[in-house]
Amino acid sequence: MSLNDKLKDLRKNGINEAKRAERLQELNDLRVNLLGKKGPITKALRGMKDVPAEERPEIGTLANNVKKDIQLAIEEKMDELNQQMIAKKLEDEKIDVTLPAQSRTIGTRHILKQTIEDIEEFFIGLGYRVDAGHEVEEDHYNFERLNIPKDHPARDMQDTFYLTDELLMRTQTSAQEGRDMESHDFSKGPLKVVSPGVVYRRDDDDATHSHQFHQIEGLVVDKNVSMADLKGTLEALCRHVFGPNREIRFRPSYFPFTEPSVEVDISCFNCNGEGCRICKYTGWIEVLGAGLTHPNVLEMSGIDSTVYSGIAFGLGPERFAMLKYGITDIRDFYLNDVRFLEQFKGVN
Amino acid sequence: MKISLNWLKEYIPVTHTVEEIANKVSLTGIESSPVTLGQGLDKLVVGHITSIKSHPDSDHLNICTVDVGEDEDIQIVCGAPNVADGQYVIVARHGAHLPEGKRIKHGKIRGIESNGMICGLDEIGVPEKYVPEAFQNGIYVFPEAEKTGSNALELLGLTDEMVDLDITPNRADTLGMHGAAWEIGATYDEKPDIKKAELDDSKVKELSDITAEVKDDKLVPDFLLRELKDITVGESPLWMQRRLWNQNIQPVNNVIDATNYVMIEYGQPIQAYDLDKLQENKLVVRNAKSGEKFTLEDDTEKSLSHNDLVVASGAQILGIAGVAGGIEARVTADTKNVLLESAVFDGASVRKSAQRHDLRGDASNRYEKGVDNGSVSEALERAVQLVDQTGSVSVISQEIVGSRTEAKPTVITGSIKHINHLMGLDLSSYKIMKIIDQLGFEAKLDGDAVTVTIPTRRWDMAIEADLIEEVIRIYGYDNLKGTLPSGMETSGGYSPKREFSNKLSNSLLSQGLDEVINFALLSKNEVKDFNIKETNLTKLLHPMTEDHEYLRTSLIPGLVNNVAYNQARNNNDVAIFEQARIFDRQQGEDRPAEVEYISGAVSGNIANDSWNTTKKAVDFYDVKGIVEELLSFTNAKSHFEYVATDEITNLHPGQSAFITADGQRVGYIGKLHPSYQSEHNVDDTFVFELNIDELFELNKRKVQSQSAPKYPSVSRDLAILVDKDVESGQIVNDIFTNGGKYLIDANIFDLYQGSHVKPGHKSLGYHLVFQNPNDTLTDETVEQAFDVIKESLVQKFNVEIR
Repeated sequence: MSLNDKLKDLRKNGINEAKRAERLQELNDLRVNLLGKKGPITKALRGMKDVPAEERPEIGTLANNVKKDIQLAIEEKMDELNQQMIAKKLEDEKIDVTLPAQSRTIGTRHILKQTIEDIEEFFIGLGYRVDAGHEVEEDHYNFERLNIPKDHPARDMQDTFYLTDELLMRTQTSAQEGRDMESHDFSKGPLKVVSPGVVYRRDDDDATHSHQFHQIEGLVVDKNVSMADLKGTLEALCRHVFGPNREIRFRPSYFPFTEPSVEVDISCFNCNGEGCRICKYTGWIEVLGAGLTHPNVLEMSGIDSTVYSGIAFGLGPERFAMLKYGITDIRDFYLNDVRFLEQFKGVN
Repeated sequence: MKISLNWLKEYIPVTHTVEEIANKVSLTGIESSPVTLGQGLDKLVVGHITSIKSHPDSDHLNICTVDVGEDEDIQIVCGAPNVADGQYVIVARHGAHLPEGKRIKHGKIRGIESNGMICGLDEIGVPEKYVPEAFQNGIYVFPEAEKTGSNALELLGLTDEMVDLDITPNRADTLGMHGAAWEIGATYDEKPDIKKAELDDSKVKELSDITAEVKDDKLVPDFLLRELKDITVGESPLWMQRRLWNQNIQPVNNVIDATNYVMIEYGQPIQAYDLDKLQENKLVVRNAKSGEKFTLEDDTEKSLSHNDLVVASGAQILGIAGVAGGIEARVTADTKNVLLESAVFDGASVRKSAQRHDLRGDASNRYEKGVDNGSVSEALERAVQLVDQTGSVSVISQEIVGSRTEAKPTVITGSIKHINHLMGLDLSSYKIMKIIDQLGFEAKLDGDAVTVTIPTRRWDMAIEADLIEEVIRIYGYDNLKGTLPSGMETSGGYSPKREFSNKLSNSLLSQGLDEVINFALLSKNEVKDFNIKETNLTKLLHPMTEDHEYLRTSLIPGLVNNVAYNQARNNNDVAIFEQARIFDRQQGEDRPAEVEYISGAVSGNIANDSWNTTKKAVDFYDVKGIVEELLSFTNAKSHFEYVATDEITNLHPGQSAFITADGQRVGYIGKLHPSYQSEHNVDDTFVFELNIDELFELNKRKVQSQSAPKYPSVSRDLAILVDKDVESGQIVNDIFTNGGKYLIDANIFDLYQGSHVKPGHKSLGYHLVFQNPNDTLTDETVEQAFDVIKESLVQKFNVEIR
């Protein structure tokens, strides 16, 4: 057999063997065996000395091509086997993605705190300061400075937990109004403040009453605030909390520390005013009380009521949350069943 | 008060439905709801009993023949004890609907045909306590002949439509029909036509047999009496009775009914006394003697306080002024001569007496909120007029005056500009004057200045702001366009402490703790349970229950309750925290300081059995990890340490620690004591409590940025054997003290106590990390530092290096 034929034969066998290989090791062995220094091609080329000189370049080229072709066949096969291996590995590593996760739990902010913060942040955006005030307050600030002297019938509206004759658990966050007004420097601009916090009433706890609950008081005092400003502010608040399509209406009411005083209703977010169970078929839901700061209240804080005026409003986060989320029992807020708490994850 | 439209029609035209009126009045004045009586009731007619005979098979039933205005009389079997021949009665015809879904059908009663039912008032919608006594246990009998077959409900006022005014305390002027007519009239631009009371002048005589004395005319600014002689006490006319029972007042007799009727008409309470039962010919309004006894009309006895104002005749107490009449001089069927009283009593005094004796009623409700002292005298005349109409009096006395205060109208001055300015409107002075007129106030305009004379019936009005309210509510809030305050810009925001506390809360939320809110008022036991600072307890003067009697001194008791509540409902794994105030009262102070705390409780498993995990119960170190992460958010420069303690009674003595910052206590952490746990029905529970106010003071770290180190770190492991009572914290402190400036970390990776080490000893393994931020560390440098560390440990703790 001529050297030429021998090389071609080696090529044919080599390629066939590469194609037949089933494992990477076989291909590595094949490469070493066929293409290595002790391999048959090298060995065959030792017979070059018997080849006429003019044919030698041709044989040399052939030998290189044979090596390349075998090399190529091995590499191709290697690729193929690698592909197969990866495919198998991927197949083996397939998991059931529906199995439960390793949980990473973030706690849930109490729904009342979420409600309060949402409202606080709304007012911060309008330039209001947040000032929490005192839970134990003087009768003076809780009542007298709010134009509610002792024996005023309005004291009946709120039964009070007293600590001493002069100290009490505040019954309303409005108690902060006097402190905010007397400490404000009006030369630095208007007073704009919201006072959120816990208040206490001598009530029996039931589905709609709690001896402890929350309020947010809002107060603006400046030279140029009006009932229209109050309406616009509360309109914006109600739309922020209850949705952009809400309308509000004012109804005359009475609070000793505002004059005029109003109750504020929003158009029912459930039926859009058509009438439903939630709005007791009136189309409107009462959400808060408000008014222009009573001139006596301004004067008692040393503010000239002929120059300055104020708007004030007070709202109940419990009521807001109950309306918004359909909570029917106020006690749920204070029982702290984690199943109740966790349903409000991420609502605000 | 419920305003009957039929009654209202006497004063103003009523042209709208009761629903429309209630809605309009709600929007312009007083929260109102429409009430329509007798809805769903029908076939109730007037019947005339033309004959009656006993039922043959019953000893209490009667067979009545009743004329119901049809060609043929109907037969009805009736069991009422007061049924009698000739009576005009209420007949429910066959097919009639009665309240509560009751239906009347013809049928047989003990074999006798009965074609309807003769009714009592309570059967057709009048609550039993407002039914006149004579008819309480039987059928109702009309006082006079009525047209048979006519609508009985209508005759009895039981189809009335009424606007129920739910007044605020300042609008007691509408607690009378006249005031309500003014209010509703203003809404519809109608001025009420109110007729003056008129007396039969021929009967009025100057009598001098009774005098009145008021001890303190500040408390009793008006006290007026009139005597009425030789009256006939009897039943009031139906028109009066039906108005009374619709006001939830029981008709009694023509005298009592007249006093109540005038109270509803004028809003002015009137009291009647039997003149012949008075001990002396003098009425005195004075303070009661402490402990003085007084008997109410229902025979219950009250022991009076010297703060109670009473009307007395000698030693005889006739009534608590403005609150309740007594049994002593009550007007009864036998009464011949009557004394009527119309007075104004101090609201606060009435309010206190009514509260003290638990006797709040129609009269005290009005006095508390105020009455129109401009109509005291007229209301008395009106009561006399009504009694005279029904009781044919022979002599009426002149007014007997105990005290009298001139009723002065209030004058309010305002500025049209200022009124508009505060409303945020630009109404013409003409429009504003028109509204003021609509309210029935007289006003004068002088340029921008408006002077308004407020009649005494609107005693709630005093200042310009009151006038603004009147103008804007009648103008209509719906016509007001919202704006935002347009003053100087302000930068709002939270206080720094609130932001700090939010940050700490967020660190707990992000570690998986749910936030709770608990009550601040706790039981005596609860406030003692974790009173670590031994603060003075703060107690309510008048708690409602023992459960909510004291102000909390710790948030832990609330959290433990929450854990118990959840675990009782199979929510076994609980991780919760609360951020709120505790109350810390110094000795000698009344007012407690309000201190912001943040506290947590973790109970149950922090990992559960699942397809790829095994459960793990929470332990001290889990909760310590939560606290450390929280503390890392305090931005404090301080060195926090955990100092083991067995001082906290309700914590496990071997698993609790005070948390200190540079040696100062800022809180504590620990496992609940096993006996506390079983007392409170909770599983193993770990708690922590931190004082935010104190942590906030530490919030002082100024961060100066440094580049991340670019040179590699070198580590060494250290294994030692040491006495078991030596705390790892002591070892780590010592390592840092001696480790030199390149030691950046020392972590424990192994702790072993048991049979493979010397008795009374434990084996500890630490992983130390050294790093020079500016250069590569040489082995030699590290070895040197490592040797110093080891040597010190051997010296100080007698450790064995392994």
